[in-house]
Amino acid sequence: MKKVLALILVVVMVLALSVTAYAEPAPDTKVAVFWYAFSDAYLSTVRAELDADFEAAGIEYQDFDSNNNQGTQLEQVQTAVTNGFTVLVVNLVTSGSADAAQQIIEAAGDVPVVFFNRAIEGDGEEHTVLDAFENISFIGTDAPEAGHMQGKMIGDFLVENFDAVDLNGDGKISYAMFMGDAANVEAIYRTQYGVEDADAILVENGKPELEYFDASNSLKYQLDPNGAWSSAAAFDFMSVNLAGYNEGNGNMIELVIANNDDMAIGSISALQAAGYNLGDGASTKIPVFGVDATQVAKDAIADDTMTGTVKQDNVGMANAICGVVYAVAGGEAVADAVAAVAESDEIFSVAEGFANKLFVAYAPYTGAEA
Amino acid sequence: MSYFSNKKQEYQALDARDRRRFWVDGLLNNALYILMAIFIIFTAVKNTNFVKPGSIVNMITLAAVSLPMALGIGGCIVLTGTDLSAGRVFGLAAGMSAAFLQNRAASKLIFEHLPATTGGWILVVLLMVMAAGAVIGMVNGFFVAKFSLHPFIVTLATQLITYGVILMFFQINGNGGGPISNVAAEFKSAVSGPCFRIEKWNVSIPWYVIFAVILVVVMWFIWNKTRFGKNMFAVGSNMEAAKVSGVNVFMTTVLVHTLAGALYGFAGFVEAARLGSVTAATGLNNECDAIAACVIGGVSFVGGTGNIGGIVLGVFVLRIIFVALNMLGINPNLQYIIKGAIILAACSLDMRKYLVRK
Repeated sequence: MKKVLALILVVVMVLALSVTAYAEPAPDTKVAVFWYAFSDAYLSTVRAELDADFEAAGIEYQDFDSNNNQGTQLEQVQTAVTNGFTVLVVNLVTSGSADAAQQIIEAAGDVPVVFFNRAIEGDGEEHTVLDAFENISFIGTDAPEAGHMQGKMIGDFLVENFDAVDLNGDGKISYAMFMGDAANVEAIYRTQYGVEDADAILVENGKPELEYFDASNSLKYQLDPNGAWSSAAAFDFMSVNLAGYNEGNGNMIELVIANNDDMAIGSISALQAAGYNLGDGASTKIPVFGVDATQVAKDAIADDTMTGTVKQDNVGMANAICGVVYAVAGGEAVADAVAAVAESDEIFSVAEGFANKLFVAYAPYTGAEA
Repeated sequence: MSYFSNKKQEYQALDARDRRRFWVDGLLNNALYILMAIFIIFTAVKNTNFVKPGSIVNMITLAAVSLPMALGIGGCIVLTGTDLSAGRVFGLAAGMSAAFLQNRAASKLIFEHLPATTGGWILVVLLMVMAAGAVIGMVNGFFVAKFSLHPFIVTLATQLITYGVILMFFQINGNGGGPISNVAAEFKSAVSGPCFRIEKWNVSIPWYVIFAVILVVVMWFIWNKTRFGKNMFAVGSNMEAAKVSGVNVFMTTVLVHTLAGALYGFAGFVEAARLGSVTAATGLNNECDAIAACVIGGVSFVGGTGNIGGIVLGVFVLRIIFVALNMLGINPNLQYIIKGAIILAACSLDMRKYLVRK
């Protein structure tokens, strides 16, 4: 009990960014952080926070850009191990692939690996990696949570504003959906629940289900072909969509759901080029929903050009990573480190059935809070 | 020794101005090697881990990964062309290798009825993916040779077509575009497993390093000792002259691209074993590093010049830069700028040789 208490104290202090002499990391601690892509907007905000956390904690660290290439990431990990890094923090490129994660763990050898953000176990292979190795852990979000939250937000919004959103007055809302990456479990869940949960709320309130704007597209989403969740991809799709589906033809897209804020912003740019969502009070506003609550998205919500997003907590994510790394570098077992961090704040929780999997909670964001 | 004494006599015969030019030209023509030597020494002094045996073996394995593609694309550059489809062909080959060599006991399979993963089947799959690469290469070569199109535009088109095929391939049997995983252990150990181990340094050399060495020897033979190789250089340096001297330009161009495609297939095969999981994005932009390695190694876009040794050197230079920049702890944002500057400088120095000659 005493030990746990001491640990909690340590972690609280790390989180408060005031480090004292409890279980200090070994002096030769060198942390390597591998980011799947430096260009990712949300992860860049995590990176800024994490860099600051490591500096405040006095931990030597180095960032690596895997440039959306699993091969590059594996090579960087191999190189980092030969360079004597003592803790590896990995944002896996091939999200949801147990095999890719295992290759990284094997390359790491005895060096502990903290995975974060991008899943390391796909559907149906839970526990295959996290239970198989001792000195690894995962810090992320409960994959379906953001989708559920986005779907609920959309459903609630539409129940209140149904007639205003239904521009052509046909009693149905036609929507566009932008998917970030076909292979990413978060993207798959967001694409599914963003619509399903909204439908459930609509039906509950006696409204018809959402209708995908393009009846000939059986997938019911448009996918960033590079799997990069990029605003450019959403912009291109939306521009083309608006050429065929607009108020002139009476089939305007009345709702836009995007897997992340980058794609939401891209679709807003396309809408603005067509004279919508100008934020001037006079133009028609098509509700656009994203996920991540990046600064750009928050600004867009404040400017009344975007409607809602789900906050993926970058500060919480960075604090959780730094806390686990700090404890692991100080010689704690990975499971103890995870448990201690989970105790330190109510936004953290240990995933059910796991000892080494930490969740950081999502929160809906529509501009009300600071 | 007589070579050096001759050189010495030649040098002593020069007047002051020629002597100065001798040194300046010598320095500039070898600037890349001199700079690399300084760079390596600098990195080694800053971070001794860089020259430890584990790190050196690591650099060799990394170079072995990128060699096959560079060896293939080198031929296209000798013909004054390029190949933008290389990365996607590589991705398709990696995806096919993973799909055909999945662990038969896995729950999610791309193809349900395939033979067990024996050495024979692994070899069959290797030949299949090399053939697939060769077919795409042949298409590239055909359009370049038949319609005198620039390879840039032909391979730009085939790159898109190949990507479409990749996307469809990744949707087979309800895979829905997800990664192809669960690669058979036999396949992994045959390609990326250790060939031998040096206990003293705690390092293993994977099999694909041996494969890369074999490929280098085979390609050296093809480029230097076969009629096809000589024809390739003839077409690359002056197509009209080659045609007049009886070289079959059409056949040579098609074959160079076909051979390149087969090599990308081989590279993808290795990648599947190395990563254990392949996505539709695997291989994207991989051709950039391969082209850069060739150009750094002196395979010039001017055409008709270059050699296998240069390509090997170019691949090593890029890999050493990759490792050294990481070992020096340089900010990743800056790493791209530095890498770009090095490629630019290397190409400028390379072109200078030809400008002087003219």
